[in-house]
Amino acid sequence: MLAVVMVLQQASVRLILPAETMPVVIGFEGSANKIGVGIIRDGEVLSNPRRTYITPPGQGFLPGETAKHHRGVILTVLQEALDEAGLKAADIDCVAYTKGPGMGAPLVTVAIVARTVAQLWGKPLLGVNHCIGHIEMGRLITNAQNPTVLYVSGGNTQVIAYSERRYRIFGETIDIAVGNCLDRLARVIKISNDPSPGYNIEQMAKKGNKYIELPYTVKGMDVSFSGILSYIEDAAHKLLSTGQCTPEDLCFSLQETLFAMLVEITERAMAHCGSQEVLIVGGVGCNLRLQEMMGVMCKERGARLFATDERFCIDNGVMIAQAGWEMFRSGHVTELSDSWITQRYRTDEVEVTWRD
Amino acid sequence: MPLSIRSLTKHVNMAACKTENGSERKLEFFLKVPFPSEREATIALQSLSPDPEPRKGGITKNLDLSGQTLRWTADEARILRVSVSSFLDHLSLVMETMDAFGPPVSQ
Repeated sequence: MLAVVMVLQQASVRLILPAETMPVVIGFEGSANKIGVGIIRDGEVLSNPRRTYITPPGQGFLPGETAKHHRGVILTVLQEALDEAGLKAADIDCVAYTKGPGMGAPLVTVAIVARTVAQLWGKPLLGVNHCIGHIEMGRLITNAQNPTVLYVSGGNTQVIAYSERRYRIFGETIDIAVGNCLDRLARVIKISNDPSPGYNIEQMAKKGNKYIELPYTVKGMDVSFSGILSYIEDAAHKLLSTGQCTPEDLCFSLQETLFAMLVEITERAMAHCGSQEVLIVGGVGCNLRLQEMMGVMCKERGARLFATDERFCIDNGVMIAQAGWEMFRSGHVTELSDSWITQRYRTDEVEVTWRD
Repeated sequence: MPLSIRSLTKHVNMAACKTENGSERKLEFFLKVPFPSEREATIALQSLSPDPEPRKGGITKNLDLSGQTLRWTADEARILRVSVSSFLDHLSLVMETMDAFGPPVSQ
């Protein structure tokens, strides 16, 4: 009898379920100008189609028009997600969608479809925080264990670290997001928004060689960008009209300044947390120059840098599905009456019950 | 038979009237929406009711399932028009979704 007990203690019992029984989660994302629907099963991305609402050069995207764009394509993208995954509606186990933060009208459009299909298919609904979607997808793809996260996009700029059941915000922008600053320079110099203004700024920056000194506004753990934006908008008009610099020089100078600031506040958070890993998520995370600069700092500290490619950096549906899956397996469900969207939704408002 | 937006607008009864409530003049608007079944009406209502109106004040919206009549009261015609218009857009999205991904599974 003693021998039997010892064997049980030594054996690690793992329940291996066939793939067919693992929950399949569908995720809907549309908080800004990208509309995506993604399907995931047990950490495997089954499909992740997406459409982007692209405005003419010099114009940003407004809530009403963005919502109209999403409304026009969402059902097609949903069908694409099912077709690419080779699944039928009956195969879906739960429906996740972006509860917030983001732009009101587009969020409502997407939430309405998510609520409707959840009811049609008789499946539970999960309202996901958009920022946490980015974090959970970054963790899944890169397998970073407990990184300091830099979340940078057109709408958000935060330095986040996990602690005791919350994604804590260690530093953030006190005004506009870094991506917003880049997008608005793109509007001033009227470069194309296809595929995204940030991508085009990155390509132009590679050809810039004159460094124009810009304000550098790190505020302790936080950053500020609206002052730099007004400065560069003003400088752009003056310097370009007198031929003192090229648009490429402006792109180059802005990137160098903004990214140095982001590296600084990330490093500060790492020092506070004693962290040896950095994970960059969000659309601006696609930028290879940002990754390069962050990599230099990480190397100096003996830390590892993790980043994803444009499939997952840029807003997409499967990141919502993945966060939804984590929430679902730890017991969360969103009741229909609680499924209202919200434009403001702090990353630390969510109780992260799926991590220790 | 799926309910299309065209057949819906044929059957929808809309009425707007001004009622005097003491010294205040409030605008009221009624919308009757026929659904193919009680189940689909419930689904639509539950998809459309959670989100708050964008503007905090000036409008109240009562979505009442019984009799399938929806009632708005507003202080200004402009607010009423925007709210109703937005609701009809969202309602047609619900119906398109139900057409494409329904019928509802049996409970």
